[in-house]
Amino acid sequence: MFIADIRKEFYEVVANQRVALLVAADIDALCACKILQALFHCDQVQYTLVPVTGWQDLGTAFLEHKEQFRYFVLINCGANVDLLEMLQPDDDSIFFICDTHRPVDVVNVYNDTQIKLLIKQDDDLGVPTYDDIFRDEDDEEGGDSGNESDEGSEPSGKRRRFDEGAVERRIERQRAKREWEARRREILFDYEQYEYHGTSAAMMFFELAWVLTKDTKDMLWWAVIGLTDQWVHDKITHMKYVTDIATMQRHVSRHNHRNEDEENSLSIDCMRISFEYDLRLTLYQHWSLYESICNSCYTSCHFKLWTLNGQKKLQEFLADMGLPLKQVRQKFNSMDMSIKENLREVIEESSNKYGMKDIRIQTFGVHFGFKNRFLASDMVHATAALLESTEKDESDSDNFIKALDSLSRSNLDRLHSGIDQAKKKLIAVQQTVASCICTNLILSQGPFLYCYLMEGTPDVKLFSKPMALTLLCKYLLKAFVHSTRNKRCKLLPLIMAAPKDVEKGTVIVVGIPPESETSDKKNFFGRAFEKAAESTSSRTLHDHFDTSSK
Amino acid sequence: MSAANDIGDRLTQFKNKGKDVNELRRRRAEVNVELRKAKKDDQILKRRNVQSLLDEPTSPLQEKDPNAQPPQHWSVEEIVGGVNSQTLDHQLQATQAARRLLSREKHPPIDCIIAAGLIKKFVSFLAWSECPPIQFEAAWALTNIASGTSDQTTAVVEGGAIPAFISLVTSPHPHISEQAIWALGNIAGDGSNYRDLVIKHGGLQPLLALLAAPDLSVFPSGYLRNVTWTLSNLCRNKNPAPPLTAVEQLLPALVRLLHYNDREILADTCWAVSYLTDGSNERIEVVVQAGLVPRLVQLLGCEELSIVTPALRSLGNIVTGTDEQTQCVLNAGALVMFTRLLCHDKPNIQKEAAWAVSNITAGKDTQIQEVINAGLVPILVEVLKQGDYKTQKEAVWAVTNYTSGGTLAQVAYLVQCNVLEPLLNLLTAKDSKILLVILDAVYNILQMTCKAGDIDKLCLMIEELGGLDKIEALQSHDNEAVYKSSLNIIDRFFSEENEDESVVPEATEESYTFEIPEDQSTFQF
Repeated sequence: MFIADIRKEFYEVVANQRVALLVAADIDALCACKILQALFHCDQVQYTLVPVTGWQDLGTAFLEHKEQFRYFVLINCGANVDLLEMLQPDDDSIFFICDTHRPVDVVNVYNDTQIKLLIKQDDDLGVPTYDDIFRDEDDEEGGDSGNESDEGSEPSGKRRRFDEGAVERRIERQRAKREWEARRREILFDYEQYEYHGTSAAMMFFELAWVLTKDTKDMLWWAVIGLTDQWVHDKITHMKYVTDIATMQRHVSRHNHRNEDEENSLSIDCMRISFEYDLRLTLYQHWSLYESICNSCYTSCHFKLWTLNGQKKLQEFLADMGLPLKQVRQKFNSMDMSIKENLREVIEESSNKYGMKDIRIQTFGVHFGFKNRFLASDMVHATAALLESTEKDESDSDNFIKALDSLSRSNLDRLHSGIDQAKKKLIAVQQTVASCICTNLILSQGPFLYCYLMEGTPDVKLFSKPMALTLLCKYLLKAFVHSTRNKRCKLLPLIMAAPKDVEKGTVIVVGIPPESETSDKKNFFGRAFEKAAESTSSRTLHDHFDTSSK
Repeated sequence: MSAANDIGDRLTQFKNKGKDVNELRRRRAEVNVELRKAKKDDQILKRRNVQSLLDEPTSPLQEKDPNAQPPQHWSVEEIVGGVNSQTLDHQLQATQAARRLLSREKHPPIDCIIAAGLIKKFVSFLAWSECPPIQFEAAWALTNIASGTSDQTTAVVEGGAIPAFISLVTSPHPHISEQAIWALGNIAGDGSNYRDLVIKHGGLQPLLALLAAPDLSVFPSGYLRNVTWTLSNLCRNKNPAPPLTAVEQLLPALVRLLHYNDREILADTCWAVSYLTDGSNERIEVVVQAGLVPRLVQLLGCEELSIVTPALRSLGNIVTGTDEQTQCVLNAGALVMFTRLLCHDKPNIQKEAAWAVSNITAGKDTQIQEVINAGLVPILVEVLKQGDYKTQKEAVWAVTNYTSGGTLAQVAYLVQCNVLEPLLNLLTAKDSKILLVILDAVYNILQMTCKAGDIDKLCLMIEELGGLDKIEALQSHDNEAVYKSSLNIIDRFFSEENEDESVVPEATEESYTFEIPEDQSTFQF
């Protein structure tokens, strides 16, 4: 069931209990987890944090902890399957689920006792009504026990005598029941057909903190990062992003206003969050402007930087802005102040000429003390790189902890190492995109496009992780749409596969919806993959919480 | 007495072999429902119940369909008023209105009627023989109240309805008599307590008197069906089973009904017999003595699933009894029927048939021989190969029992029929209980063959069928008994150093029975 009052029905319930926190491996989940941890520290709630990377993991984590815990909080996992069916928990285990995955499984929605959904009902959920999908079995059974007994089954112990019209009515009812079942299948099909994402989990928990009047700037920043993660990884529509940014902006100005007097002056340990209308150039403040332009999806696709022509165009573009190459190629931090001063306007002006009308985007930035400034998207890229790090052979949970740490402002070193890894990852993505386009690796398979990264492709190990592969997939599709002349291909979805574990010979597959400005970001690959696996009887594991990757 | 001794001997023999006799002859255990699922549905339905309460007031509107009764919907208050009025006509109308409410299909307001205290009144109407219509309406209303939950049935019983209904059974009006019988069926169907209460009040006698009529065909078939169903409810439920004296009185009537040509009556009668045979050997004996086994066997051959199911169940129950009782079923020619039943297109029938066979092969070797003579062994192997899992499980039991009671020649025949391949294939099952049963069968077969000195060929055969690998794999099974059992087989028959014949028992029948207990006690912890 949906929880109406998150404070009374969730926080006050778990406040005096020991809680198991099961957290999925995405940035929004990490941020949500940070906020909840901060609240739990505040109120001295005991909890155990368990990172989970997939359904299997979730099952194991539950088995390991079900004896010691009654309350489980699931962050960004669990909403889109019948959780009780999957975990087979005891009757007294209670699950609080804060998950952006949609559609929410109907059984989760209508279970009143064990499943508590921390999901905003005003999110566009479209859950079928109870009566459309559930029906009191007794209604029908009652009729059958009348006079005829089912072939070969034991006669009923008690029988009610119906009035005279009962037989005809029963036939009528059976017909109605069949119709109802057909309609139910249709409704459920429509409801479960596409998967998409709802309001950020971090924002949900920030709202909880706010309701408890325990919200801090750190929490606010995490909520911003959670939302930005949804934008960077293309999980929500632009419309939804802008709306939620506005919500966050209200909180930001409230906080800035509250601390106006004491903190207006910068101090060494201050933290200042500000709304920015900033450039869509990835990590540019921690890179050189040139490298950022080359490795940002937006600019690289527009210039088609994988072509010679594109490279030329880039030079023209830089010339148009009147930025000396020497300045552009050096670290952003070391650029002349005079250039940096109105850099954003200069870039915007030239971009407009080159058809990049939306090079700027509403976002937030943060200052830690004097020196460190980050955009929300910087944080997302850095943390994501740490979370899916393949540099050393560390376990998933080590990476998880590192990524979680990088979100604390006391751990700037870790954050910087994350930024370094993120740069490498972005370069790898760009190079892979370029090579896939140049060597025509994207095949049109009729209703969809398909690309398989061969074993031995450079950086292929990086793309054995779901977030990285999804990011690559999205960049690749965008680049493909810009480079192909085939109009039909622009409307096709893309399926991408990469080797997951070379030794075991497994492959990871993701599917993404067609690329278009008006895309509703709804993904039908979840169901399609299930069907495909069924019809080819391949051995598959639909493990990822996004059903569209496995 | 000698029979009892006989069983005792066999019992100890089996016990010494490390098994309970109950495990070899396996009585019917209630099927486990998927509890978890049910619970989950309950949780969802809780919400539903709230809603259904809410739409109670509007439900008369929902009932608007062309077939509905004349639109006179009385509220419960109006009914109470009417029932307590002074005019008979008004009382009748009110009772009829109550009956209508209780006869509607969705959410009959049983609890409201009970709460309004109407039961006492209705029970008193039952005695108004000067006004048959009100007797009938009250009987119908009470029938429907008693058809509900245990609490609702209790309300009817506590209103003093049992004796009132019993006297109505002999009413001159057949429709009132029928309704009273139906009501008694509902009350008796609630459980052992009320069943025995009906019997105690003398409910059985008027029913039996009816069935003693020289020609049963004078009754309309609907009427007779109700009588049969109520009678079957009087046989139903265990803990405790119905009093033995009542059963003895009842049986002749059942025998008579068993020869009546009506599908539903035959089905309900067979169910009644199946209830009576689901118990101790003493109870089985009473049924067998009534002489209905041949007729049951005959009914096994009919086409109607609704009759075959309970007939097979009854016979299956009987062969859980003593060797003599089992023999009685065999003498009636039951095994001939099993050829068809074991290949029946309903998996449930296959399973029940295999269960019955497993209890027959748990008997004497002459009985095993009858199974062989009826040609059932190849069919059993087939079932083992491709039946559904539950049927396979029963077939496994049949094989294991066969191997523990059969002679060397019989076991050799079993192996000839290629039982090993499907049997060993089932060693991949998850259920450790069934693994143990299979391992026992394998052990028994090896043991017997060993005795005959022909062990090498068999061992090779098991190895070639991939059985050895599977048994070896089971040595690392989580279940300790499975591990020990598989280890024991490997140790005794498949390890090199055991080539010396010292462990192998002498091949006389005498020493065999002694040898076994010792061997088994080592693997029994």
